[in-house]
Amino acid sequence: MAGKKESTFINMVLVLFIVTLVASAALGGLYELTKEPIAAAKLAKKLKAIKEVVPEFDNNPSEEMYSVEMPTGDLLEFYPAKKGSELVGTAVKTFTTNGFSGYIWIMVGFKPDGSINNYSVLEHKETPGLGTKMEPWFKTTDPAKAKCSILGKNPGTANLTVSKDGGEVDAITAATISSRAFLDAVQTAYNEYNKQMEGGTK
Amino acid sequence: MNTKVLVAPSPHVHSGDSIQKNMYGVVFAMLPALLFSFFYFGLGALVVTLTAVASCYLFEFLIQKYILKTEVTINDGSALITGILLAFNVPSNLPIWIIMIGALVAIGIGKMTFGGLGNNVFNPALVGRVFLLISFPVQMTSWPVSKGLTSGYIDVETGATPLAIIKEGLKSGQSLSSLMDKIPSNMDMFLGNMGGSMGEIAGAALVLGLIYMLIRKIITWHIPVAVIGSVAILTGILHMISPEAYAGPVFHILTGGLLLGAIFMATDYVTSPMSNKGMIIYGVGIGVLTVVIRVFGAYPEGVSFAILIMNAFVPLINVYVKPKRFGEKRK
Amino acid sequence: MTNKDIFLRGFFKENAVFTLLLGMCPTLGVTSSAINGLGMGLATTFVLIMSNLVISLVSSFIPDKVKIPSFIVIIASFVTMVDLLMAGYVPALHEQLGVFIPLIVVNCVVLGRAEAFASKNKMVPSIIDGISMGLGFAMALTMLGAIREFFGSGKMFGVTLFNETYGMLVFVLAPGAFIALGYLIAFINRVRKA
Repeated sequence: MAGKKESTFINMVLVLFIVTLVASAALGGLYELTKEPIAAAKLAKKLKAIKEVVPEFDNNPSEEMYSVEMPTGDLLEFYPAKKGSELVGTAVKTFTTNGFSGYIWIMVGFKPDGSINNYSVLEHKETPGLGTKMEPWFKTTDPAKAKCSILGKNPGTANLTVSKDGGEVDAITAATISSRAFLDAVQTAYNEYNKQMEGGTK
Repeated sequence: MNTKVLVAPSPHVHSGDSIQKNMYGVVFAMLPALLFSFFYFGLGALVVTLTAVASCYLFEFLIQKYILKTEVTINDGSALITGILLAFNVPSNLPIWIIMIGALVAIGIGKMTFGGLGNNVFNPALVGRVFLLISFPVQMTSWPVSKGLTSGYIDVETGATPLAIIKEGLKSGQSLSSLMDKIPSNMDMFLGNMGGSMGEIAGAALVLGLIYMLIRKIITWHIPVAVIGSVAILTGILHMISPEAYAGPVFHILTGGLLLGAIFMATDYVTSPMSNKGMIIYGVGIGVLTVVIRVFGAYPEGVSFAILIMNAFVPLINVYVKPKRFGEKRK
Repeated sequence: MTNKDIFLRGFFKENAVFTLLLGMCPTLGVTSSAINGLGMGLATTFVLIMSNLVISLVSSFIPDKVKIPSFIVIIASFVTMVDLLMAGYVPALHEQLGVFIPLIVVNCVVLGRAEAFASKNKMVPSIIDGISMGLGFAMALTMLGAIREFFGSGKMFGVTLFNETYGMLVFVLAPGAFIALGYLIAFINRVRKA
């Protein structure tokens, strides 16, 4: 290991400059290379969530996306899904702040008549083992738990609150707060969705 | 061997005290609360208690004999206390396999990993309880409604604890006064007629146990008084600032595991400070943390977390607040 | 020291997690399942090999006073590369490991090997050291992840072994990481002694 450079000012500046230059050039190149796959992966993820909650479609919902600002400053995003030119459903990215801890983000799909087609939980910080059950809980197909499922129900006509508060939905065992919050997010989505449909904007 | 595990420093004037004698004194003091729990929860309470105690003995025996390969000291009574305390801290309809996991964690992780009785930093029964609470939140927070001797082991009907009612209600925007109507009266809570863990419901029986232990000089007054006093003062101040947002001191003292924790769990010899001043610091710490978790935290109940956290501070407290040696001059 | 010695030392005798107790942040943070542990371990292995390789080549040109900054820049570049590549081609795993990928930069194992080994040794031993340290790290993380996944949710590499309702949730959460790691190290120490 002979020939180690002295720690003179010039040497140090020069070495650091070369090291950073090579590193940044390499990274810049790689960034250009991976830009497209990363964007594609992000889009695929979003489309997957939309696909999960609305009936089959053939347009690109994220291109026709429109949004409504809520009082908290967060955006409610609407993704209309169309087959041909006919609207087959709308996926609404909705949220609530009433959760056990922080925001809960869900994607709810409404059929054109306003009934719930399906939903998917995007992000939350609820207690593991309790609130985390909301992903499977409210879409169960088990006939014994028919009162848990919200699929096919219309928040405009059905009372989608937990049975403890006089509603039609059975809350997750030992996680009433998360259940309430979840249903609150669904209700918010429906209210805004309804406004949009009545306004006839889309 | 039994004298070897007493690790507290001198002075130890021997007065015929032994581990067994003190341990069985504690067990005797727990009897009223145990009987109360049988009375309120019936068969379930009995099954849970027997399972917990038997598994604690079994795991202590197995670990000492086959893993540590040391002398088996299951007769010192400490497994009995851990077992009963563990049972006290769970709902009376908890499935047997969960109780056995709790006992394994309490004895295995809580006690034997640290080197057995006298070396454990944390209260074993509480280690077991908190492990179960985090691992099996559904089963650990489904409290059977107390129905007296007639109720069976697995009871479908469940109710919330008063603390959970308040916490949930406040979270959904209801006013405290309307929630207070939903919870039992203070007298009912004192006598144990509410939802909760087996051993924590009957305040009267726990206080009876405390009086017995104080008379027999098994424990001193410092820890229970410091815990309960600090909770009373802190919740009192909060209640005075905003009566609609914070429940009063009587409610906080009678509900949840506060009395059970202050009397039986915070006072565990091994995991509490040695000097009187240290005990008061430790007790106040538990009280303050309990109130903070209950009022501002995510969980409705915080006594067990508070005690475990303060357990971790005990070695530090023992270093800084030493008992004054005989004849030592104040600096 | 032969290359075989270097390999065995890094993989087992001086295992980063079990012996040196380095890199605890990702060890505890991402090992909630075996696949996460393996992914994190392999990402770290890649960074270790590449940084060891480059540093063993260039260290003789770097003045002592700017050694650490230069090493960090080199390591950070490779970490960013891994980050970008994973985001592009394995987005699901990238999302799971999340913030811990950029944190490989500050993983003491990587800088530790760069400083303690690669800067003083030739290229081939440095690569072997990177491979062995990285694989040892990956093995430890996979073991810990498998244990936590098994006890926490009754699965192993995503294959259900028993009903999830019997799983002990604490093992999936942070406290379980500490408990499992503690007992794993205790067990390995016992095996070593025997």
